[in-house]
Amino acid sequence: MTIFRWPSGWDPFLGLRQVQRELERLFGDSVGAAGRQVGGGSYPPVNVLNGPEELIVQCELAGCRLEDIDLSITGETLVVKGVKNPPQDDSKLHYQRRERGVGEFSRTIILPDRVDADRADARLEAGVLTVRLPKSEAAKPKRIQVK
Amino acid sequence: MTKKKEHIAVHAEPVRGGAPGETLTPLVDVYEAPDGSIVLEAEVPGVAGKDIDIRVDKGVLTVEADVRLEEFGEPYAYTYQGFEGGHYFRAFALSDEFDRDRIEASLSCGVLTIRLPRAASARTRKIEIRGE
Repeated sequence: MTIFRWPSGWDPFLGLRQVQRELERLFGDSVGAAGRQVGGGSYPPVNVLNGPEELIVQCELAGCRLEDIDLSITGETLVVKGVKNPPQDDSKLHYQRRERGVGEFSRTIILPDRVDADRADARLEAGVLTVRLPKSEAAKPKRIQVK
Repeated sequence: MTKKKEHIAVHAEPVRGGAPGETLTPLVDVYEAPDGSIVLEAEVPGVAGKDIDIRVDKGVLTVEADVRLEEFGEPYAYTYQGFEGGHYFRAFALSDEFDRDRIEASLSCGVLTIRLPRAASARTRKIEIRGE
């Protein structure tokens, strides 16, 4: 009997599963049979928080090392690019289950305000990237004296 | 034939119960390392080492953690929320062929790695034929 295997590292349903995951996130648990998932995929989820002095962007990047992440700001657009590397000698490992996915990802976030990119501060801790972006002076509210 | 390879030694159970927003299922990779041990890699973003609870009971390996993301308090309002903390839970049924006393776990970059070495009794042994 010949057993057909997909070449390791290539998942034909990755795209579909990503769509499913996004739908689950939007509509709750009704689409997938299992509970909500965490981690994986090439479309990392983000949180954007708006404060009086700064914006905070959190991005879930489990499995990414510092050197694998590329962060850039152009105007009001923040781009998080990176790569999730498979283990070494990946082709020699015999996978029984592969849900996490590997490869490059990119996420573009339109920020709700102008920020001062030079004062940005980014930190990666336990697979969560936190970027603090101080608002630029022009974006801060200004009190106008009524005469 | 690679018949032996088809045998799945670790069975990952999907999470049951729990309302959405309460229990989150960490995605896992399960592979056999060249030394024959089975390696589980689970994505657990936001988890610190002390918060994770890994146990083996009656042949079931469970991984559990309560995750709270960094909170920024009152002046900050979510413009967009794509993820949040919660209760991570996943269970795996183990077959008898693992040495449960030598299971090792490590945490790095939000990925939990659990190494399950095969028990000596389960390892394939080559039997020499003594001649003459």
